[in-house]
Amino acid sequence: MHFSGHDELERYAHVLDEAQAIKGVSLGKDAWRRLRKNYAAMASLVFLIVLFVLAMFVPFLPLQSPIRQDLSQRKFQPPSRVAPGLGVADLAEDEYRLAVDALFGERNAVDRALIDSRVALFGDRTIPSYFGTDELGRDLLARTMWGARVSLMVGIVATLVSLVIGVTYGAFAGYVGGAVDNLMMRFVDVLYSIPFIFVVIFLLTILSEDTIKQALGAWGINKIVIFYFVIGAIYWLTMARVVRGQVISLKEEQFIEAARTIGATRTAIVFRHLIPNLLSIAIVYLTLTIPAVMLFEAFLSFLGLGVDPPDVSWGILANDGIKVITPVRIYWWLVVFPGLALAMTLFALNFLGDGLRDALDPRMKNR
Amino acid sequence: MPFNPRNLFPYFAGLLALAALGYAVTFGKLPPADFTFINGTEVQSIDAGKVSGVPEHRIIEALFEGLFRQDPQSLKPIPGVAARHEVSADGRTYDFYLRPNARWSNGSPVTAHDFWWSWRRVLHPETAGEYAYQLYYLENAEKYNSAQVEVRDRVEIELDDRLRQVEPFPRGTMVRGTLRDIIKPDEPEIPATATRDERNDFLARWKRAWVYVVDIDGEQRRFSPEAHDAPTVEKCLQVLLDFDEVGVQVVDDRHLRVQLTNSTPFFLHLMAFYSTFPLHRESIEHYGRDWTKPQNLVNNGAFRMAFRRIRDRIRLVKNPEYWDADRVHLNVVDAMAVNSPTTMLNMYMNGQVDWAETIPTAAVPDMLKHYQEHVRSAPMLTTYMYRLNTKRKPLDDVRVRKALAMAMNKREICELILRAGQQPARSLVPPGMEGYEQAEGVPYDVEQARQLLAEAGFPDGKGMRKLEILYNDHEAHKTIAEKIQSDWLKNLNVRTELKALEWGVYLDSINQFQYDVARYAWVGDYPDPNTFLDMFLTDGTNNRTGWSEPKYDELIAAAAAETAPEKRLQTLHDAERILMDGQPIIPIYYYVSLNLVRPYVHGFHTNVQDLHPLSAIRIDPEEKSRHLRALK
Amino acid sequence: MFQFIVKRLVWLVLTLWAVFTVSFILMKIVPGGPYQAERNLPPEVEQNIRAQFHLDDPLHIQYRDHLWDTVRGDFRSSFKLKDFTVNEVIAQGFPVSASLGVLAMLFALTLGLTAGIVSALRRGGVLDLAFMALATVGIAVPNFVLASIAVLIFVFKLGWFPAAGWGTLAQLVLPALCLGLPFAAYIARLTRTGMLEVLSKDYIRLAYAKGLSSRRVVLRHALRGAVLPVVSYLGPATAGILTGSLVLERIFALPGMGSHFIDAALQRDYTLVMGMVLVYTLLLYTMNFLVDLSYAVIDPRVKLH
Repeated sequence: MHFSGHDELERYAHVLDEAQAIKGVSLGKDAWRRLRKNYAAMASLVFLIVLFVLAMFVPFLPLQSPIRQDLSQRKFQPPSRVAPGLGVADLAEDEYRLAVDALFGERNAVDRALIDSRVALFGDRTIPSYFGTDELGRDLLARTMWGARVSLMVGIVATLVSLVIGVTYGAFAGYVGGAVDNLMMRFVDVLYSIPFIFVVIFLLTILSEDTIKQALGAWGINKIVIFYFVIGAIYWLTMARVVRGQVISLKEEQFIEAARTIGATRTAIVFRHLIPNLLSIAIVYLTLTIPAVMLFEAFLSFLGLGVDPPDVSWGILANDGIKVITPVRIYWWLVVFPGLALAMTLFALNFLGDGLRDALDPRMKNR
Repeated sequence: MPFNPRNLFPYFAGLLALAALGYAVTFGKLPPADFTFINGTEVQSIDAGKVSGVPEHRIIEALFEGLFRQDPQSLKPIPGVAARHEVSADGRTYDFYLRPNARWSNGSPVTAHDFWWSWRRVLHPETAGEYAYQLYYLENAEKYNSAQVEVRDRVEIELDDRLRQVEPFPRGTMVRGTLRDIIKPDEPEIPATATRDERNDFLARWKRAWVYVVDIDGEQRRFSPEAHDAPTVEKCLQVLLDFDEVGVQVVDDRHLRVQLTNSTPFFLHLMAFYSTFPLHRESIEHYGRDWTKPQNLVNNGAFRMAFRRIRDRIRLVKNPEYWDADRVHLNVVDAMAVNSPTTMLNMYMNGQVDWAETIPTAAVPDMLKHYQEHVRSAPMLTTYMYRLNTKRKPLDDVRVRKALAMAMNKREICELILRAGQQPARSLVPPGMEGYEQAEGVPYDVEQARQLLAEAGFPDGKGMRKLEILYNDHEAHKTIAEKIQSDWLKNLNVRTELKALEWGVYLDSINQFQYDVARYAWVGDYPDPNTFLDMFLTDGTNNRTGWSEPKYDELIAAAAAETAPEKRLQTLHDAERILMDGQPIIPIYYYVSLNLVRPYVHGFHTNVQDLHPLSAIRIDPEEKSRHLRALK
Repeated sequence: MFQFIVKRLVWLVLTLWAVFTVSFILMKIVPGGPYQAERNLPPEVEQNIRAQFHLDDPLHIQYRDHLWDTVRGDFRSSFKLKDFTVNEVIAQGFPVSASLGVLAMLFALTLGLTAGIVSALRRGGVLDLAFMALATVGIAVPNFVLASIAVLIFVFKLGWFPAAGWGTLAQLVLPALCLGLPFAAYIARLTRTGMLEVLSKDYIRLAYAKGLSSRRVVLRHALRGAVLPVVSYLGPATAGILTGSLVLERIFALPGMGSHFIDAALQRDYTLVMGMVLVYTLLLYTMNFLVDLSYAVIDPRVKLH
């Protein structure tokens, strides 16, 4: 191989062309391009989006009532095509309100509006009991879907809480640096050695003490809200560590240096450079923490510390399901469907998380 | 390769793992028991003075024996430690003659002193036995137990000189005398906003400052539970009525005389109840709170405790010192502590246990259908009910309480949820009390219920706040609560919230009136309506609804004093009528027992209290192994 | 090294102190004491008892006394299990949980490492796919669901194990399997990723080029690199196994720390809860410490500080 000036020049031109072509591609777009090639992750993403949208619009879906019982006719029915109507469409205003309350429980204004439009659109028609019914004759499909709301909300909100705590804490420690950073990180190390789950169980039992519960209730804080904060408060440690590491290495990066030399303000640096770079970690972290939180919710439900009826969650449903598994009779649908819903969501989140991590990690380009 | 300690690491780790594995598998090799049964939740204590649960009952009954015991089949009291007894004509004086061969497990005889001492311990306010009130039929027992003293009473004062402060029995120096005066400081001003607890706190602190002037052998001395500056006031722990005033008296070692306030027709039943069992004084005084440990325990029942592992098992072995040991058939018994009905069923179906105390609700129909010869079921003297807190709005309105009762479909609960032959209840007292006619409350009537609710100011449930249904997290309570939640919502548009608590915590909440509606069940302690009805006396220990009706109290008291059986039952019936009209409770159904018992277990009789003394149970080992082989 | 150990000990004491203080505060926030709620005492008698138990002392005195008892290793008596002290409960429960945890951990390591290595070597093969599918199931299904189904299959369909209880090895196998499975799954994934990364390294190619047998290459060289992430995972895995044993001990009615802890928490047996949280903290801290130590032993590049 020999070198010639001509070749050299050609090569530079080539590199320049390449650079030109890449120039407009941001980190996000690049990651998206890589993610799209990962079919498992994409399928998971689609599944999760569909699930999320469905869960948001559960009251609007033509489901049966999640709480109406039918002990005499529909106790422990295996999956079937029976679809009892709601029986509310033809009622007068007053009676209609009462009947809807009896079917769906106490709901906020948005949910009520959704239910109203659902009745307006679908009338009394409902989706048949494809998932079977439980020991009180309630439709499991409807319960699973309403449970999706609670489970997803707990997963997402609690994770967001932990994200906020973790990012703030980690970013602060990393940005300030020095002795403060050292102390803050030692604190995180200490917390790592505390078996939080035990403390949380302790805390939850104390918070459900009647007087304390009433005091909290006056502030509009119910069990689900407590879940958000308590669970959120224990999952931030890893996030804080990772974010701190990122901030420290970013501080040293040349492009930050460069931005500073060309006179970018501090806020601009934070918003244009630090946050977008942290965002990728945050997204990966989100998708990997949500499943952990959802499992934790199921675990608490198993211990009898879950949400209170008539609210349901997948954890509660799965726990109710295993209670009726006995060697003499197995009502398989009561375990299989909630278990499957939970497992599929966790699957999808795991796949998506792995995919995102690969896609967002430049070193993973060739994998 | 040069030596490097790092290279040893994998071997070291492997060795560690092996050691751990060895450690893991070398535990708990127990020889198998003759008879294994599931005893439900972990026994809180085997100290008869301190407990009230069914699992505790089974163990204590196997370890100790009272003056009487219950016939395993009919549950009639039959002589235990007492060989015979005499009752005075007015039915108020009982003379018990103890059998000479009744012995403690260390060989020493069981004497009348043991009973006297044990009853005193149960009644002592500091022991605060949950079942102390079973002895309230004795003269002055209630006064002693509730620590009330009046001027001119004979009193006993315990001085503040205990060896150990925390004792299973108070044993500071006792002085006795006659109370001459109580010097009380000014009553504290209690702010109107104070809660019940704060109020009690104020009063308690005030009462601790009282100075008791006592005449002891002609000398006047002053005592107070609180340290006073004045040197003339001696510090004491408490001032109680002299126990000699209570109606129990040791005539001699084998003769115990009991003096009752009223003739009490069911008194012998109480003598077969564990809160009246004797405890061994020397071992309790010697070991302190460790007296319940297997190695320290001295007992007088059919079995000894050989071994105890928390939340695993209590192993009982036959007590050779027991006077009736010849008629005890089992040598080794395991009482397993298992909480979950599903696990119980698993263990039973798997042949690990011979008797399981209940069946998971979901499995009941299948068990009744396919395993009929295993299910031993009978109606019980037990009522499942919802208590209503009549001190809270809107439940203070009897119309609301009645509406709730009438909007509850009890028949569906029995026939569609429980499905084991339970009967819907409309009265507190279950059927099966000889000669007693129940007073039935309101029926299921939705129309009427709505009307009552509207009259109370809540048409269609409007304006009614959300109620909370409290239950202990066990068995079908949740399912029943969800059913009732749905009934009330559907029929009355009354909203409810469910709250599950662990048993002890749930009891606390009820005791502190922190509930709206609470699930409860009462197991009759003896086959007489009184065991149900005396719960709802004003401020009764187990009332806990805040309901109070002077007429009701009068009738219960009148019944207690009544000697003619028929008249007495009629008076109790009238009382129950008032109770059902007041509706502080909603009876829901009467229990049936649901025992799973292997066919080779003999001497297991179904009865109305679901009691199955272990001393009566027999097993033929050959039959057992044949049966278990067939199972595999 | 020595300095590292001393430093860690100091932090351990601080951690335990923090946990104690938080537990103490939580315990005191709750209205009502153990002697108030359950029994129906005349208020003045109750006051007497409170005085005897020093429950009416000022809070800082109570804190000091309780802390001193705890330092001496006396966790006081259980509120609800009236026949036992907290120390006795822990002493009875610990061996059960420890044996369950050890078995589960060994199982997780054996299965996880084997599956991970096999998957990595047969990348894309049927075994790889099967193992990884299984691993994902282990991660995505709550262990109580898994355990209930396992009971049906292994106890009632196959009749291999007893349904519940503790005492024999056979009674421990099923709970240990169910407890270990999620961690086996995670370890398998870690091992697989680690192995794939290491196998593509130059020194492995060199080893092959030297003519070493592939078994030797895998076990001597590749595994050592791949095992590092697994070792660092052992810390969190211990925490996970402690948590998981709460569920498994309950389902299989094992008389271990987990059962005692859950019941204590649900029964609000605060002294017992506090004692157990402290013991759990100590355990977790020790495990993390050992993991850090062994990490340094395995990988010469790691410095302890």
